[in-house]
Amino acid sequence: MAELTAFRFRTGASLLHKLDVRFKLGFLVLISLAGLKAAPLALCVITFVLIAVIIDTRLPIKVILKELRYFLILLLFVFIARILTTPGSTLIQIMAVSVTREGIYDGSLVCWRLVIIITLGLLFVSTTRTSEIKAAVEWLLIPFPFFQGKRVATMMSLVMRFMPLILDQAKETADAQRARCVENRKNPLYRLRKFAIPVIRRIFESADKLAVAMEARCYSENRTDPWLSSGLKDWVALFVVICLCAMIILI
Amino acid sequence: MHMNIIEIENLSHRFPDGTLGIDGINLTIQEGTFVVISGQNGSGKTTLLRHLNGLLLPDRGTVRLSGVSVSKDLVKARQIVGMVFQDSDSQIIGETVYDDVAFGPENLCLDRSEIKRRVYDALKAVGLTGLAEQRPHLLSGGEKRRLAIAGVLSMKPRVIVFDEPFSNLDYPGIRQLLEQVLSLHKAGRTIVVATHELEKVITHADHLVIMKDGTVVRDGLPDEMVKGVEAFGVREPYNSRPGMEIRSWLN
Ligand SMILES: Nc1ncnc2c1ncn2[C@@H]1O[C@H](COP(=O)(O)OP(=O)(O)OP(=O)(O)O)[C@@H](O)[C@H]1O
Ligand SMILES: [Mg+2]
Repeated sequence: MAELTAFRFRTGASLLHKLDVRFKLGFLVLISLAGLKAAPLALCVITFVLIAVIIDTRLPIKVILKELRYFLILLLFVFIARILTTPGSTLIQIMAVSVTREGIYDGSLVCWRLVIIITLGLLFVSTTRTSEIKAAVEWLLIPFPFFQGKRVATMMSLVMRFMPLILDQAKETADAQRARCVENRKNPLYRLRKFAIPVIRRIFESADKLAVAMEARCYSENRTDPWLSSGLKDWVALFVVICLCAMIILI
Repeated sequence: MHMNIIEIENLSHRFPDGTLGIDGINLTIQEGTFVVISGQNGSGKTTLLRHLNGLLLPDRGTVRLSGVSVSKDLVKARQIVGMVFQDSDSQIIGETVYDDVAFGPENLCLDRSEIKRRVYDALKAVGLTGLAEQRPHLLSGGEKRRLAIAGVLSMKPRVIVFDEPFSNLDYPGIRQLLEQVLSLHKAGRTIVVATHELEKVITHADHLVIMKDGTVVRDGLPDEMVKGVEAFGVREPYNSRPGMEIRSWLN
């Protein structure tokens, strides 16, 4: 069930796929920062741009929404918490708690920004190979000699490589335990212990196997890395993104 | 005429917990032969194979690849001896089929165009060209096994070692894998297969080695030895019994 992770690379030939990772990383940071300050009108602009980009990259939106359903629930909680805790002019009064106009406004804004940031991350990860991210991190760490860029980058790409594996194994273990009626046990601590120990053991075992397989294929930190090349379209995209950010901040 | 590609002399290995994995093994393998290593569970097949490319190093004795000791140049040894593990899932490293096959050549610091050529050659050899951009975790069991072979082929090994290659494969999968192995053999590579399912490969083997309790107990021509294998916990191929001719699984 490795396909059940929304945050992963998807092959494609869209504009985002073709842009240089370093630029994409820059765009991600710039738009996220600008988005934190954005007013509703600016948020609308970002949203329209993102929708256009999503259509261009052909992300399977329905599947992704399904995979992110827990995140959507979390978002709902954030929204409700905002509504109930923001003081202002009362709209509805239910016993001691009151729903305020400011609360609804604030809550929607916060959730909107969160959705935008998640979408940005999703677009970045979906159109960038881990090996490219790794190369970009190495490149970014060149000016800092005390960081071992290659090592940090390797570590990161391994973590990314392992995420689906860990999720898979957790799910498999959970299923196996459910098949043996673990749900009859009401004590959550008991269940946590019985769940975590085998999962962690299996993760270590597969990490070990993976390490051996990598060693068998001559793994070394000194290897051919992907080409990082920037062209005209990257600079054009940068210009567009900077204009967009300026507009967001100024609106 | 034939030169010895692998020479094992008095090889012993003791695991850190004190278990004697293999004990005093002597074995030579000639270039271009098809060798089958058999023996019951725990007889030391995997331990022996892992010495061929330096994943394990000997406590006593030596392993030489065309005259050069494995421990002298591990990278070279791993390039000469490609290893296909039993568990295909845990040897997948890349995010796409292409990336996975490119992993080995990247470690050898080859340049991009050479890597690309090698990856496509390897994918073609195992019939996965059309799946280059697919995610490896979504492949079928047989395809994953072939991907593992491609990952090794891209490093241009002279010897390919298979540890229990038939486990978890269905009948068509086994036949396809067997054809694959035979075509690699025909192309001039030395093939070493460790398995306890003798009947699947025995008709094609030039050399049979039987192990028991960490030692080599029989070493010679398959035809002469196949009768006595049950004494060592290996099932005799059913059609080698009286009145039947041993037939290949391929027809
Ligand atoms: N990492 C280890 N630590 C301790 N003992 C080990 C280790 N790996 C293997 N052994 C022991 O070494 C012996 C040989 O194991 P090995 O895995 O080589 O056998 P095998 O012939 O490959 O068996 P199988 O058919 O089950 O794969 C066994 O007794 C096993 O228990
Ligand atoms: Mg084994």
